[in-house]
This record gives sequence, C-alpha cells and structure tokens, in this order.
Amino acid sequence: MAHDLGFWTLQALNALQLSMLLFLLSIGLTVIFGLMHFVNLAHGSLYALGAYFAASLAAVGGYWMGFFLAPVAVAGVGVLLYSGLIKRMRKSGPMAQVLVTFGLIFAMLDLTRIFWGDLALAIEVPALLDGRLAFLGVEYPTYRLFIIALGLAIFTALAFVLGRTQIGAMIRAGVDNDAMAACLGINVERLFFIVFCFGCALAGLAGAVAAPLLSVTSDMGLQILIPTLIVIVIGGLGSLKGAVAGSLIYGFVQTFGAVLAPQLASVLIYALLAAVLVIKPVGLFPAKG
Amino acid sequence: MFRHNSLRYAVLALLAAGALFQALTAEYFGLEILTEILILAILVLALDIVAGFGGMVSLCHGALMGVGAYTYAILSTKAGIAPPVALAASIALTGAAAWVIGAICSRSHGIYFIMATLAFGQMAYSYVFEAPIFGGDDGLGGISRLDLSFIGVDLNDSRSFALFCLAILGAVYGASVLILRSGLGRSLSGVMHNEQRMRALGLTVWRVKADVFGLSGMIAGLAGALAAQHILYISPGLLSWTVSGEALVVVILGGLGTLVGPLVGAAAFVVLKHELSAVTTYWHLVVGVILIAVVMSRANGIFGWIEARWGARIERRLADTTRKAEAKEVLTDA
Repeated sequence: MAHDLGFWTLQALNALQLSMLLFLLSIGLTVIFGLMHFVNLAHGSLYALGAYFAASLAAVGGYWMGFFLAPVAVAGVGVLLYSGLIKRMRKSGPMAQVLVTFGLIFAMLDLTRIFWGDLALAIEVPALLDGRLAFLGVEYPTYRLFIIALGLAIFTALAFVLGRTQIGAMIRAGVDNDAMAACLGINVERLFFIVFCFGCALAGLAGAVAAPLLSVTSDMGLQILIPTLIVIVIGGLGSLKGAVAGSLIYGFVQTFGAVLAPQLASVLIYALLAAVLVIKPVGLFPAKG
Repeated sequence: MFRHNSLRYAVLALLAAGALFQALTAEYFGLEILTEILILAILVLALDIVAGFGGMVSLCHGALMGVGAYTYAILSTKAGIAPPVALAASIALTGAAAWVIGAICSRSHGIYFIMATLAFGQMAYSYVFEAPIFGGDDGLGGISRLDLSFIGVDLNDSRSFALFCLAILGAVYGASVLILRSGLGRSLSGVMHNEQRMRALGLTVWRVKADVFGLSGMIAGLAGALAAQHILYISPGLLSWTVSGEALVVVILGGLGTLVGPLVGAAAFVVLKHELSAVTTYWHLVVGVILIAVVMSRANGIFGWIEARWGARIERRLADTTRKAEAKEVLTDA
C-alpha cells in the first residue's frame, strides 16, 4: 500500500469531517444524558427532522435559511417533546426511557414519511461553499471544510460557555450532583429544559449540515443513532471532552479502518467499544470522577 | 421466583387452545402468521428470562437469534451436516456466544448494560453483513427443514411445521419455568433485587448472570434455527438492532417478568403488524404510539394490566368454584 502524503491528508480530513458531524450530534445527547440521566434514543430522529426542515426551507429561501431556521424548528419540536413526554419520564428507569424513545423513533419515522413522502430529498450546496479548495497540498471540497470549521467553532464556543460562564458552571454542577445543585438554589428543572432544547437544536443543525452530503431519507436518523451512542459511551457520559474524544476516535477508526483493513473496518469500532466497556465501564472521560 | 396462578394457567390454556385451533383449521396464510408468532414467542421468552427476572435488558437478542439462524444455515447447506446436528450445534454455539457476552457485560448495569449488549449485537451484525461466507447483503437461501419422516411427519407441510413449532414453544416454556425455579433462577432474582447482598452471601454474581444469559442465548439460538427453517432464507437484517428492539417492545407490550405476558405480546404484535400493514403503510406510527402509551401508563403491559385489575377477583372466583365443587363432592359422597 504505497500512498503518498496527500492521500493520507485526504483521509485525515475525511475522518475529521465525520468526527465533527458526530460531535454536533453527540454533545447534545451526552449532556442530556449526563445532566438528566435521560436516554434519548430519538436524538437521531431529531437529526433526520433537522435535515427535512432544512430541505423544505432551502426549497423556499435558499440554503442559508434552512441552515439557520432548521435548528430553531427542531428546538421547537424539542419543547413539545419535553413538555409532553420527557418531563413525565424523568423519574422512570432507563428501560422505560429506552422504550418510550424507541416508540418515538417509530412514530417520527412514519411522520416524516407522511409529511415528506418516501422519496429521498436533496439540497444543493450553496454557491459560496461550492467547489474545492487547495488545502495542505490537497484539493478538498469546500463544504466539507466548512463542516470541520463549524464543528471546531461550536466546540470552542461550548468549551467557553461550559468552562467560563455562570450557566456553564450551573450545568456542570447539575451533572456532578443535581440534588446538591438544587439545594444551592439552582433551578435544575429549568436548566434541564434549556439544555434539552439546545441539544435538540444542535441535532437539527447537524441534520441541516449533513443534508447536502447525504440524501435526506427517513431512516437517516436510525443510521446515525448507533455511531452517536458509540461516541458517547466511549467518551463517557456528560462531558464535552468525552464527546470530542469519542467523536475523533470513531471518525478516525472508521475512516482509516476502511482504508487499512476493509475486512475488519465495521467490526473494529464495536470491538473497541466492547474493550472500553470492559476496561473502563464508564467511558474514557466521564463527567463524574 | 416465578409462580403460576389460576389466571396464568387460564391464559396459557386459552393461548394453547387458540394456537392449536389455528394450526388445525387455518389456511396457508394463517399458518404462516401462526408460525411467525410461535417463533417470536420463543425469542421473547428468552428475553423475558434475562430482562424480567434478572434485570438484564438485552439489546442483542435479535443478533443471538441471527447467530442461531446463520449457524444452522451454514452448517446444513455449505458444510453438509445433517439438519438435527446443525440444529444442536446452532443452539450450542449461540449459547456459548451468549455466555461470553453475559460474562463480559455482567459488571455493567442499567444503561451501560443496554449499550454493551447493543455493541455486541451490532458487532455480529456488521461481521455477518461484510463477510463473504455469509452471503453478505444477499443473505443465504436453500435451507432445508428437519426431516421427521421417521415418525411420519413431513415438516415441509406448513401445518406440520406450525404444530412442530407449537410443540417446541411448549417445551421451551416448560424449560423456562424449570430454569426460573431452579437454584440458578432463584439466585438470579436475588441478584436482580439486591446484587450486593447476594455477593455478601457468597454468591459468584457474574457466574449466575453469565449462566442465565447463556441459557437464554440457547433459546434465542433455537428460535433463530427455527426462523431459518421457516422462511428458508436468511438475511443480515435478522441481526439488526431493531429486531432486538422489537423483541423488547413485545416483552413490554405483553408484560415484563410474567412469562405468560410476552406470549400474549407476541401474538398481539404479529397480528397487529399484519392487520395494520394491510390497512396502512404507516404501521410503525401506530405501534410507536401504542408503545409510548403502554409505557407511560405504568401498567406492566397487557397481561400485567389484566393481572393487576382482575387477577385477585378471578383468583377468588376460581377458588370459590373449586370449593363449591369440592363441597358438592363431599355431599354426594355422604
């Protein structure tokens, strides 16, 4: 396997792009998970919903309208879900939550089919991001570079908010010990609500961003769900660091696995997950020590 | 520990009578649906043993069933091994795989256990999907059923096959009850209720979990080998995590930890699926809404709801009638 440096740079960029997409999805899920101890299997469905909203909005007002409004619309769906279902399921065990959100996956799968039909939709890449860019000696699609940049920007913003602001400190306190945080006068219930809606918005954003790369189908949420869960379980629940580490591990193992050992690529990541669960059952960087 | 009460016996008798009636009178399509229900019922019994009596909510039972199906198919078609031996081998292999998974996952609890089993299930799924020996995406065909002609039964006839599956389901139900009543089953419910205390009592907790998971895997493997013989064709879709999710849905719909409930759930789920898909293509939506409603209602599924609402009353009435009958006997004797 004699490949030049450019080939490897290209693969690394591919891996990075996959990682950033997964990061957008997993950060919302992992904080919801860590803060609320809530297992939301329907997170992938919210991502699919984001892609559908983006496709419909893009048809009306162009790509950027979809890009900015789809997350808002998905956050709106999140508000409905929270007040209708999730608030009541907070105190139930993990199995009840898994089942309710599994039911939600079923319901949302068919609802998207009812509203948007069975055919796959496509979104055009905006003119601004169309084409290729010479980067580190390789030609790489500008849109994919945009995804990488977006992921890094969101990561930086979240690292700042979680690490340096008051609301970030409140969230970290809630993840660490919600009862104690409530005793200190933090309205944990409202915090949950905000975090949940923000997580939904990020899932919607991921869907809107992924839509031009993949075609928009009703089962795209199911396809992304397992990788997202792997990311947060490898990384450890509730932590930003874990979500980043998990996303990078998944992206690179998946991409380079497919290049170096195509026979084993798909099994590799699951074997890695099993190994992590055996050695460190709570993941690499859990929020709680 | 698992106990039968009059209500459970009554529902079991009703289910058995219904299945037998269907098996003897139905046409081809009805028999196919019946067989589908029976095979699903075997799988959900396996799942109920670990999830309902051991608190081990597994999302890899679909994959275990797939392992059983593929082992049977590969051994009986490509390796040319006699079907009965292939059946035994598929049960043994699936049991062994499940034992290993159970041993590895025994330290995890709650959501981590669910995720770990999901990981193992997906690992099997993607391996089968990719490896050329398993036929990849195309699946495997040309599977033959067991040959029972020496006792005069031709399993290629769908009525005989349905009756065969019914007999196996009965045997599996009996075996499940025996497992749950054995020392192992009692240790298991002890572990579910208080793992720390069982450990303090000197029990090797991981062994108990692994053993039960292995036994449950054997049942799932049997269901898989039957499924392969039923459809005579298998595809990697059988191992997908949504199959495990659906099995869990059936257990919950029926009533977790009741053994009888999942049987009711299997019948309700398959019938609902066929009736709904005849009316609308959006049957997932209806099933999803029903599932959400059942879980939110906090009842333990259909059977759990019946048991909670009418169990005591029916129990009392049945006790009354037996007492009256006895009294009458005493009178006539006198």
